Amino acid sequence: MTVKPTLLIAKSVLIEAVRRREVYAVVLVSTLLIGLVMTVRFFGLEGLSKFYREIALKVMGIATALTVVVLASRQLPREFETRTIYPLLAKPISRTGFLLGKLLGVLLGAGFCFALFMAVFLAGTWVLGGRVPWVLFLQHVYLQMLMLLVLATLCFWLSMILHLDAAITIGVLLFLLAATFTTVTSTLYDFASPFGRALIVGLTYVIPQLALFDLSEKAVHGEAWEPLRLPVMAALTAYAAVYTVIHFSLALLSFRRRSL
Amino acid sequence: MPANVIEVQDLAVEYGRGKRRFRAVDGVTFRVAEGECVGFIGANGAGKSSTMKAIMGFLFPAAGHVRVFGEDAGTARSRQRIGYLPEVALYYPFMKARELLELYGGLSGLTRVSLRKRIPEILDRVGLAGRAESLLRDFSKGMQQRLGIAQALIADPEALILDELSSGLDPIGRHDLRDVLMELRRRGRTIFFSSHELTEVESLCDRVIIIHGGKIVTQATVAELMRPLSEIEISFVTGNGSSLPASLTALRPHVADGHGTLIVDSPTRCAEAILALSGAGCQVRRTSTRVRSLEDHFIELVGATRRAP
Repeated sequence: MTVKPTLLIAKSVLIEAVRRREVYAVVLVSTLLIGLVMTVRFFGLEGLSKFYREIALKVMGIATALTVVVLASRQLPREFETRTIYPLLAKPISRTGFLLGKLLGVLLGAGFCFALFMAVFLAGTWVLGGRVPWVLFLQHVYLQMLMLLVLATLCFWLSMILHLDAAITIGVLLFLLAATFTTVTSTLYDFASPFGRALIVGLTYVIPQLALFDLSEKAVHGEAWEPLRLPVMAALTAYAAVYTVIHFSLALLSFRRRSL
Repeated sequence: MPANVIEVQDLAVEYGRGKRRFRAVDGVTFRVAEGECVGFIGANGAGKSSTMKAIMGFLFPAAGHVRVFGEDAGTARSRQRIGYLPEVALYYPFMKARELLELYGGLSGLTRVSLRKRIPEILDRVGLAGRAESLLRDFSKGMQQRLGIAQALIADPEALILDELSSGLDPIGRHDLRDVLMELRRRGRTIFFSSHELTEVESLCDRVIIIHGGKIVTQATVAELMRPLSEIEISFVTGNGSSLPASLTALRPHVADGHGTLIVDSPTRCAEAILALSGAGCQVRRTSTRVRSLEDHFIELVGATRRAP
């Protein structure tokens, strides 16, 4: 299997993602939302700067994740619907190479969306005269990209077994569940029955804990936190890799067995 | 003897599961030899597209096997030598025609340098010259189909598999396409295509395969198919009190008010009928040849199959 066909498919996904207006709409609406924060004078200038950064990073994370859910979920159903899957797979490219290309394209699209957000974030921080804890900030960006990778492969799999609308809806719900699972269940665990506790523990392994990839609070309050150590970053990378491989393998299995 | 490019043996394709299982293609067997142009015709739902998809390896046969250039269908090596046009695809609306052909050409193994030369040539060939930088969302259905043909031809493949070839094309588009296919035939390319435009099939093909209800009804060369389609009509005036001999009544002549017509299927029978008419005191006024089209034959064949229990 050569890399070139995969890169060509990824490029076509990126072109579509960049030229569609929806990415810009998401960035614009989120920017307006973040902009509203800058009008708040409740905390004083230093407090405002931190509050802004915290809200901005949260909004950016959620908006990019939702963009990825939509982008990843529609890749395969849209190919079937418009019949463009046929001329693509009529060329000498394997189904694995095709799916990898789609995944890479979605990640590049997500990266593009994230880059726009970063520009907004850094511009806002500069206007407010805040400082960016660069190492933590870059670790946050890296972990968010890992989170998007997990999410994209999950949505690929969902789109192979569900209709497009259902895949997007379930994808959004699973993202929200996975992002808040640790917070919610750590409170619930103490009050749960033995069966409930076993269920929570079981689900902890089934559902990828996306909250682990969110360093936004640490990146905001950088002076109080040390950057994550390398073994921790490596462990998080491995954690993301496990879920990515599982989701991608399930998607690939469905795709390879499917009559087109 | 030319090698087989496509070999389909006892192919069966099924859709659905359990009680909803439906056999779309049932025991189809045929071959397409190198350099042949074969038309694949049938009514909607006859099993044409399913057969073509099985040839491309897009779906997995329930029975039988398909080989392309001696390889199992669907392998990258078999696809390397084929250009495929699907039934009307709607290409990526936010891509430009050039970018789309770069994608398909690149996937076919063409280099950037060769694509730079090839893309304007192929766009010109399918009547889309000057549209390389247009976004595909601005393309009409016919233009999308032309672009589909361009992507099938981009790597100058040895064989072409074209599903619903002229779908969405206007008469000029169909004419242009016929020229393109004629040129490919002259260059010895193998062409296997389905179309509802039977005049196109008649004028382009060496051989025709007719499928109905998932089964092949007939496959023959165009000349073989057309031979029984020629008819000669003899118009005559009956003599006073003359009656037609048994050899002519067997042909079921239509006679009214002293004028009659009868139809024979060959020049020899025509000569025999004229002699018999003269012998019976009739006066032959006119003979005219009627050539029935492939469409007439197709309707007759498929109609007969539909009526069969």
